[in-house]
Amino acid sequence: MHLGPLDIDFILTILPNLLMGALMTIKLTFFAIVFGTIIGLFVALAKISSIKVLRWAGGIYTWVIRGIPLLLQLMFLYYGLAFAGILLDEFTVAIIGLSVCGGAYIAEIIRAGILSIDKGQMEAAMSLGMSYTQAMRRVILPQAYRRLLPPMGNEFITLMKDSALVSVICMTELLRAATLLQNATFRPIEIFVTAGLMYLILTTFFTAIFNRLEKGWQFQTGNKGELH
Amino acid sequence: MIKAQDVNKTFGQLQVLKGVSLDIQLGEVVVIIGPSGSGKSTLLRCINHLESIDIGNIFFDGQSVAFQEIPGGNRIPVKRKDIYNLRRQIGMVFQRFNLFPHMTALSNVMEGPLTVLGVTKGEARRLAESLLAKVGLANKANSYPSQLSGGQQQRVAIARALAMNPKVMLFDEPTSALDPELVGEVLNVIKDLASEGMTMLVVTHEMGFAREVADRVVFMDEGMIIETGTPEQIFSSPKHPRTREFLSNVIRNYDNHSFPQVV
Repeated sequence: MHLGPLDIDFILTILPNLLMGALMTIKLTFFAIVFGTIIGLFVALAKISSIKVLRWAGGIYTWVIRGIPLLLQLMFLYYGLAFAGILLDEFTVAIIGLSVCGGAYIAEIIRAGILSIDKGQMEAAMSLGMSYTQAMRRVILPQAYRRLLPPMGNEFITLMKDSALVSVICMTELLRAATLLQNATFRPIEIFVTAGLMYLILTTFFTAIFNRLEKGWQFQTGNKGELH
Repeated sequence: MIKAQDVNKTFGQLQVLKGVSLDIQLGEVVVIIGPSGSGKSTLLRCINHLESIDIGNIFFDGQSVAFQEIPGGNRIPVKRKDIYNLRRQIGMVFQRFNLFPHMTALSNVMEGPLTVLGVTKGEARRLAESLLAKVGLANKANSYPSQLSGGQQQRVAIARALAMNPKVMLFDEPTSALDPELVGEVLNVIKDLASEGMTMLVVTHEMGFAREVADRVVFMDEGMIIETGTPEQIFSSPKHPRTREFLSNVIRNYDNHSFPQVV
């Protein structure tokens, strides 16, 4: 069966391999998002902290990570660390690389989100006798969270697409699964069109989730989208 | 209750408070008036340590707010824990309300007792409901701040401060951000509090209100207290020329507002 230049029967035979790859892409993205967000939150808090050393450390972190290609960072982690005697499997390296990189961008998003909250909110929380941590947790972050959703959604999609880079350290995710099939069969059209469609489905799915989350909070505050 | 001693505060090059001393007794209502930029709000913010002070000291209930004397005559800033503890006992109402927009009116009022005092949810809810009723907003408990008028928001903010059962209430121009027709409802709530014997320090431009509720009126200008007296003394026979000038300006503006001229 053919659909234009595409041989559907062939696509069906490669589908299991590509789906396995897509599953790995989802797994990598999931862990990168979770750890990247945790790293990002702490780095953001460090960067707005009143303690100079923390601000410094956070600044250097984002400066270095955002200033060097992720591809290089992954190669350094994989080959460099192995050379130095630290042996990590591909999956661990991939997660570390993606989380550390994502964390730097997420930190900047969270920092901007926190700084966009009116100063009066922190003062009101403080005037009730809240500690800095309580004020952050109860007042500032819940509000920042709502403003963070759109840029975070973007970042997560970028992270998903960047996960393709870990194919260079022999991690068989969607892109590498496709490349391996291509090497074996020399049928680039079917393979890359199918893999591309899978990425597209994943990013569309992500976008839909974030749109839902955004709508959810608008409903919750009785607010039709304008910022307070 | 509150005792400010020779308080000095500088922002960069600008000295905002130049040796301010003020004593507030238990149950007293003190109203601070003065032109904008005179340091009224800063003084208020120093009392609950939203701003730190450079020289001088402030005592609350006999305890130092800003500095701790240590043996040898040196002074160190008070501990963070003590500052939190201090703020729990001082309610603050802001010019721009600063309600938490992601919480309903009820949750806003519950937040302090719940998070800071650690009371149970049911207890916080009962307290919040009674306080919202007190400020006349029992029916708005489930509204979000964005659904309330400025006057209603400010009344919720007053209830939120009262929920901590403070010993003193500080009002920082509580009606300056309100449309004229909403000023009255907020002032009435503050007046009720005054008649209940709450100790209060109010910064305001509402001279009628000051005259009515203040036990003492303080006039500040350029970071200094120029004149202090009963409302009668300040408004009817101000001693200092700057007080006179300020009051005549304010009253002229007030009259212009009251009788808008049709061109």
